Amino acid sequence: MKMRLDQGRWGLSARIVALSLALLLLVQAAVFSALRISIGQSARDQIAQELLIGERVWLRLLEQNAQTLAQGAALLAADYGFRAAVSSGDLGTIRSALDNHGARIGATITALLDTRMALRAVAESPGPSALAPHLAQLVSALQLGSHSGQIAVLGGVPYQFVLVPMRAPLLIGWVLMGFPISQKLADDMRALSDVHLALVRRAPDGQDQIIISTLPEDARQRLLEHGADVSELALDGDLLVTRSVKLRAGSSDLRTVLLRSVGEVVEPFRRTEAAHGWITALGVLLFAVGSVFVARRVTTPLRSLVHAAERLGRGKYDVPMQYTARRDEIGGLAKAFDRMRINIDAQQAEIRQLAYWDRLTGLPNRARFRDAVQQAIDQHAMVDGSSRGALAVVLLDLDRFKHVNDVLGYSFGDLLLHAVAKRLQRQVVAPGDMVARLGGDEFAVLLTGCDAAQAMEVARRLAASFELPLAFEDQTVDLSAGFGVACWPIHAADAEVLLSRAEVAMYAAKNQTTVTRLYDPSLDSSSSQTLSLLSELRYAVEHDELCLFLQPKLSLSDATVVAAEALVRWQHPQRGLVPPLEFIPFAEQTGFVRQLTLWMFDRAARLWAGLQTPEQPLRLAINLSTRDLLDPEFPLRLDAILATHGAPAGGFCLEITESAIMDDPQRAQGTLHRLAQRGFKLSIDDFGTGYSSLSYLKRLPVDELKIDKSFVIGMEQDEDDAKIVRSTIDLAHNLGLSVVAEGVENRAVWEQLKALGCDEAQGYFLSKPLTEAGFLQWCQDWSRERACRP
Amino acid sequence: MFANGSGYCACVARWPAFAVALVTALLRCQAQAATVQVQLQDAAAKPLSEGVVFLESREARSASRPLAGAELAQVGKQFVPRVSIIPVGTALHFPNRDTVRHHVYSFSPVKTFELKLYTGSAANPVLFDRSGIAVLGCNIHDNMVAWVVVVETPYYGRSGPDGQVVLGNVPPGSYRLRVWHPALPVGAPALDQALTVGPEPAGVSLRLPVIP
Repeated sequence: MKMRLDQGRWGLSARIVALSLALLLLVQAAVFSALRISIGQSARDQIAQELLIGERVWLRLLEQNAQTLAQGAALLAADYGFRAAVSSGDLGTIRSALDNHGARIGATITALLDTRMALRAVAESPGPSALAPHLAQLVSALQLGSHSGQIAVLGGVPYQFVLVPMRAPLLIGWVLMGFPISQKLADDMRALSDVHLALVRRAPDGQDQIIISTLPEDARQRLLEHGADVSELALDGDLLVTRSVKLRAGSSDLRTVLLRSVGEVVEPFRRTEAAHGWITALGVLLFAVGSVFVARRVTTPLRSLVHAAERLGRGKYDVPMQYTARRDEIGGLAKAFDRMRINIDAQQAEIRQLAYWDRLTGLPNRARFRDAVQQAIDQHAMVDGSSRGALAVVLLDLDRFKHVNDVLGYSFGDLLLHAVAKRLQRQVVAPGDMVARLGGDEFAVLLTGCDAAQAMEVARRLAASFELPLAFEDQTVDLSAGFGVACWPIHAADAEVLLSRAEVAMYAAKNQTTVTRLYDPSLDSSSSQTLSLLSELRYAVEHDELCLFLQPKLSLSDATVVAAEALVRWQHPQRGLVPPLEFIPFAEQTGFVRQLTLWMFDRAARLWAGLQTPEQPLRLAINLSTRDLLDPEFPLRLDAILATHGAPAGGFCLEITESAIMDDPQRAQGTLHRLAQRGFKLSIDDFGTGYSSLSYLKRLPVDELKIDKSFVIGMEQDEDDAKIVRSTIDLAHNLGLSVVAEGVENRAVWEQLKALGCDEAQGYFLSKPLTEAGFLQWCQDWSRERACRP
Repeated sequence: MFANGSGYCACVARWPAFAVALVTALLRCQAQAATVQVQLQDAAAKPLSEGVVFLESREARSASRPLAGAELAQVGKQFVPRVSIIPVGTALHFPNRDTVRHHVYSFSPVKTFELKLYTGSAANPVLFDRSGIAVLGCNIHDNMVAWVVVVETPYYGRSGPDGQVVLGNVPPGSYRLRVWHPALPVGAPALDQALTVGPEPAGVSLRLPVIP
């Protein structure tokens, strides 16, 4: 989750884009600053250069102008008519000729000098008064120079003067011509270069005066304010760099100020900068788009691969990877991912096979079965209302499978399991149903769309199919199993509970030696009913709600009371007397039976002394459960109780059912030996109903057999039962055991047993179980009665 | 050549620095005309050509007669000769021996005239009726210049490359020795000095302040 957050904030894509943009901007900024510096430098250089060139151009322009004027003047001086007029010697004629011919070439001052440079005549305007003061200086300057281009200011107007000789054909004089430096010249200058120009005259009082200029009016004002010597002139956000050139103009301080606008020079550079700016912006845009595109090319597949990897993580392997067709690293990664996906899928399939299937029988295993049950429950649960079906689980556990394994070997056991699987599969064919091996000798069947009655029917059919013995090689094995049935939704809400309920039912079936058993909450130590029963039972033990009943056992030979079987009765405050069948199996299942056994033994030990009579010792018989036999501490606990009440072990007989021993013969045998060593008499209860082998019984330290009452009750009518009883008695006697018959309900049976040589009898014919007081009374009554009889 | 004088001996007297030289004339015989020889030098004491030398006196003025057929030709866009000496009253012809036309003029006060474009011989010769120096030019060709020295004496001569002028048949007497050269400043009059001519040939050496 954190990773995804990071991706969102600074994903690879964003980083690629940001990096390339930053680099671009860095480069552009470097270029820009270099450009800026270079522009500043070259603008300064350029302005200086332009001003220098401007100066040269201006001086050259003046010189050319002077040359042109000089040529014109020379031509004029050579004009025959002019020469003729001058030669005339008439001053008026000469003046008018000067005026006329000067006007021809635009000279506003024309004067004739003699060969000694004395003024002979001046054209009428502007008059000799203006010229005379400057003449000497002017002429000497012109004679020193090239006779042309000398500048002088007359009457506030700058003139370029030229001096040309006049020959006829020899030198007869000089013609001096003055041309005003006009605005046109300045405009020509401005047209030739980008430099502005101002011709400034500084009056003797220091006051500047602009004579001509290409500058706009405000700039002129500015220039006058700052003076012609200023090096820079700020103007309306622009800057004018100036260069002042002093002109040779005699006594006048005349200078040309050249001005170059920085703004104009920088303008093309500014455009370059602007273009650079645009290019940068465009570049940033293109880079952004390009790098986003490139980054997408990378990150979109990456993201897709991330999703795909997450999908793999969730266990979905069916969607192929994208971008496997690409030939770059992404394609390689995608292909690697896809190979991984396929391999993992295959491995998963194999793991699933291992995880969900039993290798031996090829049936689904416990996990698979549980899933299937849950799936079926989910499917059924989705159907609403009355149409909602039911489903059932049948759980079965083979009887004596461990014994088969022990005796016939594991490979035979495997064959057996395989055959059982086959047999179950033949019976379960409905779609949606499933047969599974849960482990060991435990199998399960899922029946869908099946209520409790139908499920019991199927269970009975399965049980029936087990009646046919299995034949392997030369061995024939009888199959039997306990079948437990639990139904959804009446017994459990989910698969796990349903299975455990079916298991409870199955164990109940096995314990009660019935073949099939439907789950009932009373069977279940974990059901709420049994939980409350358990607490009530515990309460009953602690608060003396239980009481010990005794049923006498009489010696058949002399009808004396030789023993009594201790039986527990529960006097419930609300429910009244609770029959043993309602809580003994439950106590067996929950393990509470051990407390019960100890409680009974304690009571019996306490009673024992009071029951003994001088003429006849009385043995008390107590039933043990499987759990007692499996508790290694059990003999020690009995020792403690005996010690408490001072009773001998020999005064007690411990009755154990065949099935209790057979559950774990090894440990049972150990416990029995320890008990026998202590002097307890041991008796096999309900003999004939179980499957214990005589050879095994023979190894046990047992003193008596107790023939099951089903045989005893039936022996009066059923010859077979009578035979069983007789042969059992014979067998027991032959093995040195005494025989007790229970369920003696009438005199005929009593007599019959007596005739068969049975040792002791117990039953309603003699007495039902009695309280301690009742028992003592009965014993007195019985011995008195017996004394009365012969 | 119209200015060949017959020979006198001239003795040369030196005057310091550009001063007028003092001439000693050696007259061979009183009754006979003498020869005056004048040696002209420039400021660098080199022989000066194209110098004009003439002697003036009242007698000489009355002896002066105009020349007939005198001419100033134009050859190769030059006046030939550059320096002419003619007596007053001479009508000077201006034959044009070039294929191009010339426009000869003079603004000189001695004689102002103008011969407009012409070829061959000008229609009328120009009469120089006053003594003095006229500067002539061509309005077409500015580099053409000629000087016409108009004298009132028959004793005149022009120096050749050797700087010598020999005036012959000069009767003894007092004269003004006049010397002029085109290189003298424009409008400058001819140098003037007294010269007494005896019967013997006289020699005069003169240094003129000119740089050729």
